[in-house]
Amino acid sequence: MKVLRLDKADLERWFVNWAKTREVYGPLRQSSSDSKSISVNKSYTDWAILKDGKFPELGTGLPKSPIKKFFFPQPETLFTCSKRKGDPDAFVFKEPENRDNARKVLVGVRPCDARSVELNNLPFEKDPYFQANRAKTAIVGFTCRDRCQTCFCKEVGGSPVGTEGMDIAVTQLDDFYMAEVITEKGEELVQEGGGASEASGEEISRLKESKAQVESLFSSMSDPAQALEAMKAKDLFALYNAPFWSQLADSCINCGICTFLCPTCYCFDIQDEVVKGTIRRIRYYDSCMFPLFTLQASGHNPRGQKVQRVRNRFMHKFKYFPDRFGPFSCVGCGRCIRECPVNIDIREVLKDLLAVE
Amino acid sequence: MDKTSVQKKEWEPKIIAFLCNWCSYAGADLAGVSRFQYPPNIRVVRVPCSGRMSPNILLDALKAGADGVLVSGCHPGDCHYISGNLFARRRFAIFKSLIEFLGIEPGRLNFSWISAAEGEQFAKVVKEVTERVRALGPARRLVKEI
Amino acid sequence: MSTTNSTITEDIRAKAKQLLSSGEVAAFLGFTTGTLPMTMRPFVARRPEDAERLVWNSFCVMNLANYLPDLLKSVEPPRGPKDPPPEGPLPKVGVLATGCWSRNIVVQIQENQVQRDRLVILGIGSRGMVDRKKVLAQVDGREVWTSEEGEHSLVIEGPGFKKEIQRWDVVRDNCQTCIHPNPVIYDYQVGQPVSPREVKDRFRQVNEIEAMSSEERWSWFQEEISSCIRCYACRNACPLCYCPTCFVDDSRPQWVGKSIDLADTSIFHILRAYHCAGRCTDCGACESACPMGIHMRLFTKKLEKDVLELYGTEAGMDPDVPLPLTTYKEDDPQNFLITEAVGQTSEAGEGVKP
Repeated sequence: MKVLRLDKADLERWFVNWAKTREVYGPLRQSSSDSKSISVNKSYTDWAILKDGKFPELGTGLPKSPIKKFFFPQPETLFTCSKRKGDPDAFVFKEPENRDNARKVLVGVRPCDARSVELNNLPFEKDPYFQANRAKTAIVGFTCRDRCQTCFCKEVGGSPVGTEGMDIAVTQLDDFYMAEVITEKGEELVQEGGGASEASGEEISRLKESKAQVESLFSSMSDPAQALEAMKAKDLFALYNAPFWSQLADSCINCGICTFLCPTCYCFDIQDEVVKGTIRRIRYYDSCMFPLFTLQASGHNPRGQKVQRVRNRFMHKFKYFPDRFGPFSCVGCGRCIRECPVNIDIREVLKDLLAVE
Repeated sequence: MDKTSVQKKEWEPKIIAFLCNWCSYAGADLAGVSRFQYPPNIRVVRVPCSGRMSPNILLDALKAGADGVLVSGCHPGDCHYISGNLFARRRFAIFKSLIEFLGIEPGRLNFSWISAAEGEQFAKVVKEVTERVRALGPARRLVKEI
Repeated sequence: MSTTNSTITEDIRAKAKQLLSSGEVAAFLGFTTGTLPMTMRPFVARRPEDAERLVWNSFCVMNLANYLPDLLKSVEPPRGPKDPPPEGPLPKVGVLATGCWSRNIVVQIQENQVQRDRLVILGIGSRGMVDRKKVLAQVDGREVWTSEEGEHSLVIEGPGFKKEIQRWDVVRDNCQTCIHPNPVIYDYQVGQPVSPREVKDRFRQVNEIEAMSSEERWSWFQEEISSCIRCYACRNACPLCYCPTCFVDDSRPQWVGKSIDLADTSIFHILRAYHCAGRCTDCGACESACPMGIHMRLFTKKLEKDVLELYGTEAGMDPDVPLPLTTYKEDDPQNFLITEAVGQTSEAGEGVKP
């Protein structure tokens, strides 16, 4: 694996060069330029296109939303067709003509977010839309240096300095950066970015040292591999009937914040929209927190109660998904903990689940 | 410049008129029978009562591309269902104020009371609504494009 | 913890414990400490010993009235859809209520969602709740590890900083303009009633927006909602939103598209706000729950202003005053009619016939 040494100027040049042929996205602060006193004040970073030499916020913290929208857009148009009278092709579903084919680079992606793409790849392995989006999107990750209070990537099998899912992994060392080029896509980006020198042996050992130091910041309450095996071994119905679900449901308001801001929640619904003689079939996010999620045409709803819906989200992440695909469907980014208006903490739920006999 | 002026000439506002079955619809009928001229821009939807008009429907009309909406019912006190239009009056007052507060142009959404005997009044109202909407130009806000 | 909060917390615990152990209530709804600073977790105490976990401070922003209809149902003895209702009185629920929450309970009573005789309300005079987003904005969005609340200040600590901020500077907008901090209905008073505040102009923000042009207002509205992810937290945090099927879930006809198209999002926010017309007490739960920092409270504040100006009522102040949109007066203002501009040809509509 190639390791490069970069200065901030090199990174800036990379972003500018990439932007010539691709769309470059990074976390930017969403503050408003409005000078009126009724300002739209949003003091957080979120994904935005980098234009006019804007440099993304690569410091601490996570952007507000996960990167799943680049692979699993809200909404994705699957087909379109015309319903105009006299159109010989009326009601013939076709590939949408104006599909977004731009190549994209995401810079400043945290290891948890990058890993989510790998996890979502499991259920979407044969999904042509996800795969097409994946093929045209490169991920330039930034490894973590600090720990947020809601971070728990290590407990679900990730790492704050992990490179899973990334094409290039950048690590900041004091005043310069180290870039590990992981995939061919990454190599291509380096060629396009140009002008970075190979790192010396001493620099590489410093990189390793720094990574080990960050890793030690993230102590884990349990051995992740053991926790995973334990969850797989547990009886499904014992977990399902555990008493703590009703207490969780007492405080939950059944909104979709946790699922929509979760990097690994991938449930969707499909519907046909008709606008002025055009039909489009869209795929959009759905949330297991909503009663409509499981409502059947007969009117019966197998998850008609709040407690059943709350349970499903965690059971899916920690039991159904591992049983089916292997790993937990959680990368430990902590967005659901941070954004939950009633402080439902997925770490507590995992602890409770592991305690079930 | 030429192009826009041509477009403006060709564009005719499309206005959806929700008329109550008992008064305004009959008023529209009378306008026709009495040969009062009014612009052909309205598309009439007959509803049982102005009290039936839910804001959902009004917004749906705007979303589907209507340039203007007119809702008309019986005069207060004349409602076939005693009080339908009186409830509607409160709802419309609040709703119109809300959507104008949120930036929908005043004049897109219009309300009136027209009785079955007011054929001339009906023609007058339609003329006024059409002129207002024409002055605003085609509706863009809330129109869904895909 | 400030003395005011610790006194209230002690009072709540004692009263809740007494209510639960005497069996007067089957459950007591309050708040407990969560895993993060500045975020309180709504909590249902069902056993007397649970009462020790109840806490009160300035971060109790979720409106507890929101949980009441479901909670009351959940403490009823289980029965099938066709079984007759059980004989004798149904179990009661204890709940905390500040000014706005108690007004929401009044609205719920008026709308037959809860029954007054099944509630034991502990009234608290609200000193104003703190907006977590305002605190975060004070430290440039950095993380806050701990927060310590004093009587009039907050001490927050995070990576590389420790800062004392004035509590009132970070109190939520709706609380800063609140003129009804004390509960309108309650069974027991906890702590001291708050003396009514001087609020210069409670509709200041609305007036400022009204002063803008139509285009400016539209761009403000669009910018405000552009980050909406349609998670419906504003709807679900709202004590007024209890419909079994919300208009956004209707599919025949479908009023609102499902994805984050701006036209659809606009319609969602207009209709969500409109459904609160004459019922909203400006409790601010929607805005506090929003993960994206949208100020949707301003939309309902405008409705509050209109209803007060046009019909002279405020939601939930008196159970005997009907909600403004469920009633009418024969001489309600109607200057929004286009006929006012066109003029009337006949005498009909000039006032009201006897």
